[in-house]
Parts: sequence; structure tokens; C-alpha cells
Amino acid sequence: MASRTEIRPDQAIPSVTKSITENSILEFESTGILDRENIHNNPELAAKRLGTTYTLASGRMSITFAAECMRKFFGPDVFNHTGTVNLKFLRPVKAGDTITVTGSVNGTEETDAGTKVSVDLFCDNQDGNRTAVGIGTAVIA
Amino acid sequence: MADTELKIFDYEKAEIGEDLGSYEYTLTQEMVDAFRSSVDDPEAPFPTLGVKHDATAFAMVYDDPIGTVNAGNEVEFFNPPIVGKKISVKGRIADKYLRRDKPYIVIEATAVDEDGRLLEKLSTYQLKKPDELGKKWHPEQK
Repeated sequence: MASRTEIRPDQAIPSVTKSITENSILEFESTGILDRENIHNNPELAAKRLGTTYTLASGRMSITFAAECMRKFFGPDVFNHTGTVNLKFLRPVKAGDTITVTGSVNGTEETDAGTKVSVDLFCDNQDGNRTAVGIGTAVIA
Repeated sequence: MADTELKIFDYEKAEIGEDLGSYEYTLTQEMVDAFRSSVDDPEAPFPTLGVKHDATAFAMVYDDPIGTVNAGNEVEFFNPPIVGKKISVKGRIADKYLRRDKPYIVIEATAVDEDGRLLEKLSTYQLKKPDELGKKWHPEQK
């Protein structure tokens, strides 16, 4: 876990690499409380709406992966109570992909609650194509 | 949960600030287990991300035959949810705009548990013309 005195500009945060499978996509969808078909669990619907031959992994899976990196860097006591993740999705993620999330400290800002640390976040697939980009933050007291 | 007839979503008629109502559910261990397994993180603290609070609020009000693509998410984490606790979610349409002639709406949801603990605020930038992205991803198919 990073402490306030240890955080420096461009410091890398822990990365995670995740294998996306049909099962993981469907399992993520099964967490929901509505039993409905969508572009994540119905290939015909994905084909009709997007013209794809595959279902897409929810972008929220990438949000969760990025949050894991942030949690490992700041520690759960900090990140789970002050953290944010903001991602823009650039490319589809599908079964068979391997997504690696990396990040580095972008800067710090003093706030009433403490030092707000900003982290640049990147999600890349196995081909080196960027699937999402964004920023995460957490506040260190 | 809502048990009313869904309205057909019409982008032109959608209003910024439109209330998407509220709903409640109880977080179960099965939901937590499925979520953690799906993201291969046994300590993942926010299975609420898999519930998609904002999209669920939207889907309880609207039937959207055209569909949507998630262009981006913003999440603020305040407190991890607790298994067995009832979670209350309020949703709304926070914004609506055209970007490069493509229609977007921003939906957001705030979740608190039965003890009044603020859990999470979530926003999603939805592109309401998903076939446009399909063309971009697979130009050979169009």
C-alpha cells in the first residue's frame, strides 16, 4: 500500500491481467437483478444492434479491473471509501481477450479531506490495442 | 421492484434531470460470489458494479428497442456493500447531448444501504446509436 510520503509522480501502480471468457462475461451479467437479454449475453442481439459476431464484455468489468489496481496501490481502507474510477471505452472486449490494466501517478492535489492522488489508467488487450483509458483517484488523509 | 409497463424510449423526448425512480434489492452471497468469480478477484468489494445500478434503473422505466453502447463509466466508491443488507438505488438521466452527430445520454444512480450508508455513485455515458460503433469496429461488415 502506498503511503503519502511514498507517492511520487509517474509512479506505477500494480497492474492486473485478466482473461475474458464466455463464462466470465455471463457470470458478470448474472450478478444483476433483472433477467434480461442484452449485447453481453445474447449473440443475436449483439449482431442485430452492433453487427458483431460475438457478445461484448461489459465495460464495467474493465472498471472493476481498474478498481482492483487502485485498491492494491492505495489499500482497501483508503480506496474503498475515497476512490473513483473514470474510464472511456475505446474498443470492444470479448471472450478470448486478455486485458491488462496499468497505471501511473499523474499528480496530487490538496483538498479539505486530504491529498487527492490522480492516476492515469490504461486497459490494453493481448494485441496491444487500447480498449479503455481514464483516470482514477483516491484521497490519502 | 418496478412492476409497471415500460415506456418506449424516445431520445428526442428524454429530458435532462428526468427521474428514473428508485428500487430496492437485497445483496446476497450468491451475487457476491458470482461477481468475484467473474472478475477473478476474491476480494472485489463492489459487486454492485455487476448489478449496474444506473442501467437497471433505466431498464425499469424504459424499453429501448434500438439499444445502447456503454461509452464510459464514472464511479465513486464510498462504502462496500454488506451481504444481507437491503440496498436502495435512485436513478436519473443526468445529461443528454450530441457529439459528432451521435446521440448520448448520461444516466446516473446513487446507492445507499438500509443503514443509510452511502455505497456508490455511478454514471454511464450511453451512445444511443449502437450500430455506429459496430460500423467503426467492423467496417467490412457494413
